[in-house]
Amino acid sequence: MARRTATRWEVLLVVLILVCGVWSWTLSPFFLQRANLLDLLTPYIFLGLLAFGLMFVLVIGEIDISGCSMMAASAAVFAWLVHGGTNVWLAAAAVLGVATLLGLVNGLLVGILNLPSLAVTLGTLATYRGLAYVILRGNVRTGFQPTFVQIGGGYISNELPISLLVFFGFAIGLGLLLQTTRFGRYLYTIGSNREAARYSGIAVTRMRVSVFVLSGLMAGFAAIIYLGFFDSVEADAASASELMAVITIVVLGGVSIFGGSGSVVGVLLSCVLVAEIRNGMQLASISSYVQDIVVGGLLITAIAVGNLTRAERTHALLQKTLGGFRKEVISAETHAQETHVPSRQ
Amino acid sequence: MTSFASGVSPKSVAAAAFRLREFGVLAALAATVLLFAVHTTNFATVGNWQDIAADVAMVVVVAVGETMVILTRNIDLSVGSVVGLTGYLSSYTLVHNQGIPTGIIALLAMAIGLACGVANGILVVVGRVPAIIATLATLTIYRGVVFEVAGGSVINADELPGRFLNLGVQKPLGLPLLAWIAIGIALLGALILRWAPWGRDFYAIGSDPQAARLAGIPVGWRVMATFAISGALAGLGGFFFVARFAGIDVTAGQGFELTVITAVVIGGVNVFGGSGSILGATIGAILVSTINNGFTLLKISYFWLTLVEGVGIVAAVTMNALITRRLQVFQRRRRYVELLAARSHGAEE
Repeated sequence: MARRTATRWEVLLVVLILVCGVWSWTLSPFFLQRANLLDLLTPYIFLGLLAFGLMFVLVIGEIDISGCSMMAASAAVFAWLVHGGTNVWLAAAAVLGVATLLGLVNGLLVGILNLPSLAVTLGTLATYRGLAYVILRGNVRTGFQPTFVQIGGGYISNELPISLLVFFGFAIGLGLLLQTTRFGRYLYTIGSNREAARYSGIAVTRMRVSVFVLSGLMAGFAAIIYLGFFDSVEADAASASELMAVITIVVLGGVSIFGGSGSVVGVLLSCVLVAEIRNGMQLASISSYVQDIVVGGLLITAIAVGNLTRAERTHALLQKTLGGFRKEVISAETHAQETHVPSRQ
Repeated sequence: MTSFASGVSPKSVAAAAFRLREFGVLAALAATVLLFAVHTTNFATVGNWQDIAADVAMVVVVAVGETMVILTRNIDLSVGSVVGLTGYLSSYTLVHNQGIPTGIIALLAMAIGLACGVANGILVVVGRVPAIIATLATLTIYRGVVFEVAGGSVINADELPGRFLNLGVQKPLGLPLLAWIAIGIALLGALILRWAPWGRDFYAIGSDPQAARLAGIPVGWRVMATFAISGALAGLGGFFFVARFAGIDVTAGQGFELTVITAVVIGGVNVFGGSGSILGATIGAILVSTINNGFTLLKISYFWLTLVEGVGIVAAVTMNALITRRLQVFQRRRRYVELLAARSHGAEE
């Protein structure tokens, strides 16, 4: 049942991608050129990586809205280190380290102190953004080492973005982690019913901490791609509208915000869809503010529609069960009457 | 049976928790005031206190609505954008129709805010979108509307009529007019939460939404009401913004939601709903505004403020959870002891 609905959702996404493609093609015939198609995702890959991180957190039934701030803070650390003369690769390692550490702080607050993840990550959203501000102040740092910048902004034979390969690499790796390993299976189990998972001997606390750490690590990778693509960073990099785009990608990809379901394929497809919609709106020269409004509307619609279909399904299931129950009661009553009548004679 | 009645009721536990939190916030406020008074020359002056009062007024007005939303186990992240939107639209109207009375402009700002709040409420209640995600989306959407409408233009003091500008500088009885209005709103909010049956419902919903529904409380309408109030008061906050700063641009109120939520949460309102008060939120607002003011006087960079707010939220949430848990354990132990006493008493008879 769940598998069938999941497949249907992904088919819907593919249809939407095709429809959107036709729309973009009518706006500009250049859309279908190979170079453009290959480059479609490039500006959104850091959002996609953040979305992968958030997806793991949502599957286990928590939420992490501090992703963009973790990315900004770790990118700020990078800029600070490089500006101070540190080797660029050492600084890149520091990015991953810092981002993981920030994720670990979230994880410990949620997992060990057992605080609501929503409130914790709202607090760290501000804290980590504040870190970025304190480190970078009002400065914009640009001009990083060319080899490093290649990861996020380079091309193989002038056509294939390196970051796209990185993105697909993560998609495959994380997809395998989620679908084939015990770790992945446990995530779904905990997301469906945390107490049941605890009673069946799963180390729930450790798993809850680790998804936040993973989310932090993904924010670190997103920072590296971001630094490469834009070749610049400032403290308010990736703010509210990017955070909303990340959540839109995840939710539109069919990941339930209440935990227990979601797939990497869905998130990948919805990332393509969101990129395509943004690209199409740029072709139609719609202002970036209206683009934000559209993406916000998309997020709300995706959740509301998901909720309504789920409610309908629950209603149908309830009716079916109730119907069966009613039938049983009626047959039991008639049976009672039947047995009652002869006894009277 | 009588021994049960004399035991620790949930009400007195809540009261104890309230006192603990209140005391903590007041102590923090006292420490902050002392620190700034010692380290700066012009902190403890009447002029500076009046300045802080005007800042507090803006935070409190919005925090009253936010408190109600958070009490029902929801959150409203869009208030910062609503402040910007309503402030811009209402002052734009005033600039182009100089004759409109100031009161009407305030009502206009509140009406626009109300519409934004109702939209949030519909998303949460009818669409059943979790409040944090719904209001994060509308945060971006409302801000997008401001940008689109204003297109980067700014409203300056010289465009606004003098009687409007007067509003921000009036100080009847030594306190800014805005602060008097804010005190009125806070009192009204506190009265509603304390005495109005529908205000009490907010606590019931926050404590246990399912139980509240089963008890016959129209949960959907109540949650809708909190979002509507929060929107309307954020609209008034937008009006305050223009009155206080004598002008507005498109980025006005960006990040203000974090200031408001910090004030509310530091003030002891439980982020998971069900407990907290307007008084607490007001003290929280005073603390946040005092820190903001002191930082400016100490010439600590503005960039530190976001960090302090974030740490404040995390610390408040942690403290709140620990206090609540400690009290629950305490309550359970008391009940257990009394149960034992009642049993042994029964055995003696």
